[in-house]
Amino acid sequence: MAEHAATTLKPADDPAFSLPSFLSGLQLPLLGGGLVALVVGVALAFTAQDETMPRFGFSAYLTAFLYVTTIVLGCLFFVLIQHLVRAGWSVVVRRVAECFMILVVPLAVFFLPILFSLFFEGRLFVWTDPDFAAEHGISEEIWGNKLKFLNPLFFTARSIFYFAVWIGLAVFYWRTSTTQDETGERAASERMQYWAGPAVMLFALTLSFAAFDWGMSLSPMWFSTMFGVYIFAGGILAAHCLITLFTYVCQKNGAIKDEVTEEHYHDLGKYMFGFVVFWTYIAFSQYMLIWYGNIPEETEWFYVRQHTGFGAMSLLLIFIHWLIPFAGTMSRYFRRRPGWMAFWAAYILVVHFIDIYWVVMPEARRLEHKVYPDFGGVLGVAGSLLCVAGLSALAVGLALRVASGTRLIPVRDPRLRESIEFENF
Amino acid sequence: MSETKTEKTVHGMMAEFTTVDSLLAACRRIRDAGYTKTDAFTPFPVHGIDKALGIKPTLLPWIALGAGVCGTLIALAMQIWMNSIDYKYIISGKPYISLPAFIPVAFELTILLASFGAFFGMWALNGLPRFSNPLFTDPRFDRATDDRFFLYIDAKDERYDSEGVRKLFGDMGTDYINEVVDDESKKDVPKPIYLIWGLSVAASLVPLLCILTMRVTNSSSPRFHVFFDMDFSPAKDAQMTTSLFSDNRAMRPDVAGTVARGQLPESLDVLTGIDVEALSMTDSNRVERLVRAYLMDDQEAQDAEAATIEDEQSAEAGDESGEAAAETTKPSVMDSTPWIKTNPLTVDRYLLERGQQQFSIYCSTCHGMDGRGNGLVNQRAQSKGFDTWVPPSSMHQETLYGEVYPDGKLYSTISNGIRKMPGYAGQIKVKDRWAIVAYVRALQKSQNASMDLVPDSEKQGVDAAVKAAKAELERQAKEAEEAAKKREEAKKG
Repeated sequence: MAEHAATTLKPADDPAFSLPSFLSGLQLPLLGGGLVALVVGVALAFTAQDETMPRFGFSAYLTAFLYVTTIVLGCLFFVLIQHLVRAGWSVVVRRVAECFMILVVPLAVFFLPILFSLFFEGRLFVWTDPDFAAEHGISEEIWGNKLKFLNPLFFTARSIFYFAVWIGLAVFYWRTSTTQDETGERAASERMQYWAGPAVMLFALTLSFAAFDWGMSLSPMWFSTMFGVYIFAGGILAAHCLITLFTYVCQKNGAIKDEVTEEHYHDLGKYMFGFVVFWTYIAFSQYMLIWYGNIPEETEWFYVRQHTGFGAMSLLLIFIHWLIPFAGTMSRYFRRRPGWMAFWAAYILVVHFIDIYWVVMPEARRLEHKVYPDFGGVLGVAGSLLCVAGLSALAVGLALRVASGTRLIPVRDPRLRESIEFENF
Repeated sequence: MSETKTEKTVHGMMAEFTTVDSLLAACRRIRDAGYTKTDAFTPFPVHGIDKALGIKPTLLPWIALGAGVCGTLIALAMQIWMNSIDYKYIISGKPYISLPAFIPVAFELTILLASFGAFFGMWALNGLPRFSNPLFTDPRFDRATDDRFFLYIDAKDERYDSEGVRKLFGDMGTDYINEVVDDESKKDVPKPIYLIWGLSVAASLVPLLCILTMRVTNSSSPRFHVFFDMDFSPAKDAQMTTSLFSDNRAMRPDVAGTVARGQLPESLDVLTGIDVEALSMTDSNRVERLVRAYLMDDQEAQDAEAATIEDEQSAEAGDESGEAAAETTKPSVMDSTPWIKTNPLTVDRYLLERGQQQFSIYCSTCHGMDGRGNGLVNQRAQSKGFDTWVPPSSMHQETLYGEVYPDGKLYSTISNGIRKMPGYAGQIKVKDRWAIVAYVRALQKSQNASMDLVPDSEKQGVDAAVKAAKAELERQAKEAEEAAKKREEAKKG
């Protein structure tokens, strides 16, 4: 406001707006190392496959894929929602989100192994196994109806549609935003705002159905209408964390130091706090309805997650995914300290992986009464971790590549000054 | 407090500014000058003004947090107390203390109390509600809601000194400085307020008066029903018709494939009195028939089973000499059936009392209260001399003792009948039939019991009862004798 009337915007080509050389130098190591880790991880995960966990290999890959995808989609949603509400504060952190949002394009390639799994009957999705219904005493009528939706052809068609929508949205917002860097065209912002409404609706539907297809259909007889929202809640939370952490790392290396202030960390921290509660709210609502109804076909999903190591993990999630970050991000004191917010962001990014792992991996078990999932031993744990580390490294490497070709903030956004001068009350 | 030009109490000093910038600059100056009891008034929120005034972070978040935590604890304590201690009630088959069910209320109460804490905490910290402020005495202050910015230093500030503050403000290039003094306007409450207040109090008494009037007045008009369909609900009674269902029955039959509460059938052993597992070794067809008859409500199987038993009855009925003679003929179904040897229910005082009650109701009319087969029906039949009458068996014969006539067989006889005795399966519940079996066994035992079986503490009572009974019998015999003598004497006389 008036107090900052003296604020002068740096020229668009100021070196503070480009990716620090340290970070751009990380591209090749991350891409190379990520690829190696991913390949080794997948190999280990397939080695860990055994009687109890016959679908471990593909499931470990799917876990890593869903981890990265939910965060990337969270970033896409972040961009959409800022335009939808014409937010002023977030302009200086929006480009970071955009750099990750555009990763849906390469993620389409990383989805191919999941499609590839459809050729192996019941190796990832049990509904591809023609003997499944007969072996598990599911009536042919019910199974026939399920298969009208869950069949490889329709599944592939839907997945292509999801990616088409996401890539379309991401490319449109990316192009318009980066073009505005050059032209400073005010109409570009208005165009992005205009399309944000329909885009959010399309996003909500595609993300929900993608969650049903890629996560919920792992257990084809189970259903929860909240599942899509649950996956979204984790993703949008992790996206805010990624934006915080990435911005922090950029600032530590000398970029955008004057533009992103503790006020922005404060706001990102509020959202992190809010989405921690939102995730908990959704996770608990889903659990409580099923717990209260106590119908076998619904409780089955939670039942297997109450045994062996996953039982401990379920309990642990309450603390590490809710109570600890809830207490940690509640205070204004911590929210206004970028170092602390970066710490909590990194912490939640780890916890988000545990959440996705908890959703996907138990379904890799042999679907039989009294067979409970395990972690696949040392090989399985190492494989799962290498998979997600590899895919995340690849994603970050690609994001750095994208970021090195552009500026770290939308330098000619009409709201840039407002965003830089933003203050919390 | 400093001297004033007037006699009025001085509350502080205010200065007017025309721009936000000049206000913020002034704020910083008085902050740096060390004033702490200050305030600024602007028509809209100004970013950074609390920093410029040096206002410390508010305590409010802590109040909200504390209130929120109280909300959680109160909600949990309330639910645990209500549902688990004070009024134990099982809901949906969950434990008394089931945390997931308590969470929604705990969540809501946390939010509610945290909001209250924030809202009323803000009031408390700001000294609200407050209807007037000395600042309002200055008409120029009205523009604080429009286009002017005001800065105020309270006279309670340690550094306050009228001249010094006036000089400080003057240096800031303000257009207007004014000392804030006591409000001199009339403090009397306007008369119409009293009127309105009085009328409100009077009006609030009307409902109370109405109720009091109703309490002391008789009325012949019927009660007014606010919720007619709640006072007269359209609920149906048994055997009534309804247009709601196509079969017009208000009583609904059980849904196919379900069992009503309390209607879950007992095991086949308990239902039939037969050791079904043993029977399956010898006669699997009959087991299949029993399953269909008793557990699947198959009419055909029921008829077939009844026919088997009936054959047996007529076979035994044909032989007037009864049980003993039946044994000599070919081994009958009744004998080859592996009956349960012992009562499947827990035999305790309650069961025996229940059995005694049921025996008295259903069995004693023929078998007599003591089971000797001399009930009222038998007495009448004998006195009339019906030649088709088959006298009911006495329970006190060795052929009916548990060693030769197992509990299961006795149960089956009660259920299906024997000779002239009809089956009581329709009248007496399964458990009650077993209770009768237990009671009959007790009855049998009572007739052959030795005094050793009576506990010492009861012996005296029994002795006394026996003596009293003997004395009574003797007295009756004497009376009868005397009566007979008298009658003879009367005849003679």
